[in-house]
Amino acid sequence: MARRTSEPRAPSRLSSRVAAAVLLACCALLLLAAPIAVARTSHSGHSQQGGDPSQTPPVAEPAAPAPVTAPVPGPAPVPPQPTQAEGGGRHGAGRESPAGSPRQRHAGARQQAAAQATSTAGQGAAAADQSTSSQPQAATGQAPSTSSASADSAPGSLTHRREERERHNKEERERHKEEALRHKEAKKAERSDESSKPGEEGSSSPEQVAEDTQGASALATPAPSGAVATIASSSSSRAPVTTSTPSVAGVSQQAVDGHRTRVARRPRTSRTHARTTNARGLTTAAAAASAAPALALRTTAHTGHGGSSGGGSRATKKPTTSSPLVTTITKIVGVVPTPIRVLIAVLAALALALAVRSRFSAARARRLERQRGQLLEDVGLLQAALLPVAPERLGPVGTSAAYKPADGPGAGGDFYDVFALEDGQLAVIVGDVSGHGRHALPHTALLRFTLRAYLEAGLSPRDAVQTAGAVLDRQLGGQFATVVAATYNPRERLLVYACAGHPAPMVLGARSDASTIEPVTASSSPPIGVGMRTGIRQTTVSVPGRAQVCFYTDGVTEARVGTELFGAERLRGTLAELGTGASAVAVLDGVVERADAHPDDMAACLLRVEGGEDPPEVILEELELDRDSAGSRRTERFLLACGVERDELAEVIHAARAAAGRDGTAVLECNHAQGAPHVTLRREHLRYLHVPRTEVEVSR
Amino acid sequence: MLRQVDTTDRPPAGAARFDIAREDLDERTCVIAVGGDLDLSSAPQLKWMLLDALEEGHGRLVLDLSRATFMDSTALGVMIGVNRSLSLGARLAIAGARHNVLNIFELSGMDGAFAMFGTLEEALAYVRGDAAEDR
Repeated sequence: MARRTSEPRAPSRLSSRVAAAVLLACCALLLLAAPIAVARTSHSGHSQQGGDPSQTPPVAEPAAPAPVTAPVPGPAPVPPQPTQAEGGGRHGAGRESPAGSPRQRHAGARQQAAAQATSTAGQGAAAADQSTSSQPQAATGQAPSTSSASADSAPGSLTHRREERERHNKEERERHKEEALRHKEAKKAERSDESSKPGEEGSSSPEQVAEDTQGASALATPAPSGAVATIASSSSSRAPVTTSTPSVAGVSQQAVDGHRTRVARRPRTSRTHARTTNARGLTTAAAAASAAPALALRTTAHTGHGGSSGGGSRATKKPTTSSPLVTTITKIVGVVPTPIRVLIAVLAALALALAVRSRFSAARARRLERQRGQLLEDVGLLQAALLPVAPERLGPVGTSAAYKPADGPGAGGDFYDVFALEDGQLAVIVGDVSGHGRHALPHTALLRFTLRAYLEAGLSPRDAVQTAGAVLDRQLGGQFATVVAATYNPRERLLVYACAGHPAPMVLGARSDASTIEPVTASSSPPIGVGMRTGIRQTTVSVPGRAQVCFYTDGVTEARVGTELFGAERLRGTLAELGTGASAVAVLDGVVERADAHPDDMAACLLRVEGGEDPPEVILEELELDRDSAGSRRTERFLLACGVERDELAEVIHAARAAAGRDGTAVLECNHAQGAPHVTLRREHLRYLHVPRTEVEVSR
Repeated sequence: MLRQVDTTDRPPAGAARFDIAREDLDERTCVIAVGGDLDLSSAPQLKWMLLDALEEGHGRLVLDLSRATFMDSTALGVMIGVNRSLSLGARLAIAGARHNVLNIFELSGMDGAFAMFGTLEEALAYVRGDAAEDR
């Protein structure tokens, strides 16, 4: 039952768990996505402004070095730049101008000296304009100032820088410092790049120009590209400190990152371009455009060459790569009103609770299942202890046993045992404790093992039953038990059994007429536990030929056929039909087949004795007498049933009374071996036993 | 009508007809007569009839089994239990048991535990202390 109920429960629990998990996952996604998306809204906005994401992929590796160098230039310049970038590219250009102008002126001086490459610079500026044309922000005012200052820096030396710085100090000290430091860095980068990669110049020049100009546009681009230029410049100037300003990176990096790779590889070329541009002096603006970014880019390049690589820039770049998804989620989350968010939170909590609950219940179910398994195992062990598996053969005798409880699979009040004795005999115990079911179990076990112990100790069946009856009479708690104990000696082919309120075993010979023995039933022993002396009778059967001996409990003969009892005759017919090779299981199955109902437990134990056709016969009946029973009507009935002539009764009873009166007990043996009964009296040896009989006395 | 006869008169398989009646002869003596099959299903009624009579102070009980068709071990168990619970001075006699019922007593060895008489008169005489039991 338990299994049947637990099985349908399992899928429902599973499905509820799955549902809870899905719900939880959805809610968690929404809840988690919301803050992230909101946080990224700004990034995405900037990225849209600052540049196209398509440029970013190639940047990834070379961009990495940038953040590492960040500490070197000092964090001072960082704060203003993010604000510029966030505040919007177009205004950033205006603010950038002071920083740009000194440098540009300086660059202008240098460019004049260099006097070269203006055409390329001009091309670069054009390219920058094209690339940034999507942001048509106007920083027109800026253009002149930057252009005037554009001459500068690319070829600048340290002394140059110092002069520059002095000038700047007059105008704007802090800004000047920053720029000076940055220039220094750029210089170093330049040099190192030059030394490391001298030969790349020519091949990469067009790209480089584009980069440079793009960078330059940040400082000096004329009207149309101003906004982008600002962003780019801010990014390029900020490049060393990228890590500390991740939010800006998303924007500015785009402008620069795409080119940083190439810049890192070809710093010298860019520098050359800058020089050439300046030298040609075609456009100061263009020159400035090339110069300023060149420095900035070189800074990054330098850091890149420094060998340190970090994930900072990569990390800052990531948000922009997932921007489509983020944007979508942002849009979705943006429209979700607060009540719905609360609802989602509640649902999430509910899902969590469900998940927890299902987890607990699953654990509980597993625990119960485990306990059930253990219980079944225990019950199986106990049942095996009470209803052992009979060996198929004990010596020359085939043995089998079977049990059919009236209700349920557990052991009830019936019990049996088949086992070998040391002297080559085998022993059989079959019994029935009053009532049936689990309440009878303790007494069942007690009786079975007590009887077994006495039989193994060498007592005869009658002595074993008598001793057990004496010992256990008051231990059955008001219940009583019927038992039959038997031994079979294969060498002498003798079956000896003693009953206590129990039906005698059925012994069928080999003949087709299914002849059975007719034991004396008069003066049978009462059951164990009824307060009476038991174990007073014993029967010895000779089994010279093939035979089957069937021990059974009264559940078998009290099965119902219509309104009648199944009875001993039907059992005999069933045994005869099945033949001597039948097993106990087959016998009980046959009974169940023939009967309409079996309201009580049924147990059967079968011995199969091989041999010829000689029929079994009872050769000895014994009755133990005490002083009270010696002269009773029961004794008379017993003697009469044994075939003692009525006129001999008085003599026999007189002798028995005398013997019992003298010794307390006496045993009447009625021997049928020679045809006519031969009655003998012998003294009983178990007189030391206390035999309870007080209650019966009272009832009289 | 026919259907009524069919369902009421024929007992279902396994459930034998059974009836039980109690007759109080005096304030201490009563006779409980059983008809039909004494088995697993009817044994509880027998048990409570006997215990009720004892509780009401009827210390002289006669169980008339002359109309009992058969008896199984459960009913025998009830009789054994009641016989054991008899207080001092109380007596239970069994009267008029048929051969197959007597056989049950004999086979179970309980024929020695009860005072059994062939007739109701003998049993009444025994419970009233007028006659010795005959075993």
